[in-house]
Amino acid sequence: MFKLALKNTLFYKGRSITTAVLTFVSTILFILFISLQDGSHNAMLENSLKIYTGAIEIYHRDYRDVGGNEYLIQDAKAITDKLAKIDAVEAFSTRYETYGLFSSKEYSAASMLAGVEPSKESVLSSLGTALKEGKFLDENAGNCIYMGAELVKKLKLGIGDEVAFVGSASDDSFAADIFKLCGVFKTGLFEFDSSASFVSRSYFDELMNGYNKASYITIKLKNIDDADIVNSQIIKVLDDENLESLTWKTLMKSMVEMMEIDSIFGYISLSLFLVVIFFVIMIYGFINISSRIKEFGVLRSIGLSKKNILLLLFYEIFILSTISVILATPIAAYICYYYNINPVVIKGIAEMYKDYGVVSDEIPFNFDMFTIFWNVAVVYILNFLSILYPYLYINSFKPIEATRHV
Amino acid sequence: MIKLQGVNKYFFRGEPREVHALRDIILTIEEGEFTLFSGASGCGKTTLLNVIGALDSCESGKIYLDEKEISSLDEDARTTLRLNELGFVFQAYNLIPVLSVEENIGFIMRLRGFSDEEIRRRVLEVATLLKIEDKLKSLPNTLSGGQQQRVAVARAVAAKPKIILADEPTANLDSNNSQILMSMMRELNEKEGVSILFASHDELILKSVRRVITLNDGAIIDDYKQ
Repeated sequence: MFKLALKNTLFYKGRSITTAVLTFVSTILFILFISLQDGSHNAMLENSLKIYTGAIEIYHRDYRDVGGNEYLIQDAKAITDKLAKIDAVEAFSTRYETYGLFSSKEYSAASMLAGVEPSKESVLSSLGTALKEGKFLDENAGNCIYMGAELVKKLKLGIGDEVAFVGSASDDSFAADIFKLCGVFKTGLFEFDSSASFVSRSYFDELMNGYNKASYITIKLKNIDDADIVNSQIIKVLDDENLESLTWKTLMKSMVEMMEIDSIFGYISLSLFLVVIFFVIMIYGFINISSRIKEFGVLRSIGLSKKNILLLLFYEIFILSTISVILATPIAAYICYYYNINPVVIKGIAEMYKDYGVVSDEIPFNFDMFTIFWNVAVVYILNFLSILYPYLYINSFKPIEATRHV
Repeated sequence: MIKLQGVNKYFFRGEPREVHALRDIILTIEEGEFTLFSGASGCGKTTLLNVIGALDSCESGKIYLDEKEISSLDEDARTTLRLNELGFVFQAYNLIPVLSVEENIGFIMRLRGFSDEEIRRRVLEVATLLKIEDKLKSLPNTLSGGQQQRVAVARAVAAKPKIILADEPTANLDSNNSQILMSMMRELNEKEGVSILFASHDELILKSVRRVITLNDGAIIDDYKQ
């Protein structure tokens, strides 16, 4: 049966070439589309996680919803001691965030001030590498402040300038100080660059009476894909009803939702494309099979079962699909690999999508063999489905009627 | 071997254009017969051949093949029956265009699961009998009409069916080729013992067969041996 199918594909050249070319094109486009979509999502996610948000963060249960000093983590060390024993955790750091008013000589702006551990942040986030001017903090930075570029612009500050801060300490007392601008960062995330500033944790604790307290503890994992598993482990280890441990999927819910919506729209447009390809292949197959009704009638008459006819059509489409996929997959995989290493540059895209975590005009393709294989599997399935209607059409004829078909 | 009991067949049943294609056919065909269903166009001879060959169903009556009732079989069972017990020769040869003569002849044997060696030996045997052994590697469309029909006969006979049903096998052939074909089919009938039933109004076939069953308007009006 396979031999007959092979000979049929060589004999009916028009149909074979059309089907093979359409399958070839759809395989390449399908793989590239998914690769680009996954690549851009991965880049957005990676950028956002790298900048500031951890893979997992631990909060007091009411901190994120209610906020305020009473919902700070009161004994950060007890938690970090437990985290140190979890293998999958690569690094962690306590962060204390508060909000207050910054004033330069002429301008004022409300903004976040966070006390961070500079040496740990170098591992956990890209705050240090986002340096635009001046220098990043160190443990002995004293009253040095590291401020977002947009906030600096708003306050009309320059490196070495002083900026006054007024806020409230952890015990709700009045907290005020004058910081010296030592460094300016630019992550590309507009909101973050215009509303965040950092001082070293040791200085911050003195000012805010924040010893051993934290707004949250941020955690970097050895493998981001293990976030859910490790998070369950952390919840178990903490065993404290007043604490919650959240993965990046919850922390960056809006980004995840945006990526999901983007994926849905992507899949819808891709589905429409694949449906068109599917119908074109099916129609070509149908036209070809319609011209072979008599042939199938003869085959049925001399003893080929309906199952054999289906097998024959299956082999024919399998041969054509395989030829196309064998040619298309390495080409598509190479393109994905190439643009994974040398991302596509679209000028202005970072500016356009800055609110969604796009910090670069470079969009890398995702290169993942598993994804490529499932894309190929989808192409095969669509091609196999495309023979069903022609098959049912053939079987709507009695064998003897089919042998007389003109 | 084949027994028909009160077989009736209609086309367009219940419609104004209803045709009573076979009327109360009662018939017995013994093993090894070389028989012709004859009659004018539209008399029902091809329909009778198709009903016997499990290519078509009948509305009433029973058909037995070797005591086994075959008229009530479903489509799948009829397909299996056609594959294992029957061989067909069509007016328009109906060879598989992409397969060589050798592959066409061995096609049914392959479907029935014969070994490669059995197929090779049998294909050569019937091809020699039908004098097409030098065409085994050719494609059907490179052969003359007479040669193609001999390939069709070889395909029908190769898997050793009990009966071969031949519908107007000489209609597309000239008289010389028709004569050659009929003498070869008679030889096959005698050497292989296979029953061959023809539906035709060709005088040449009429002269070649041993039994003639004449139909008119769907009914048997004459049945004689010669």
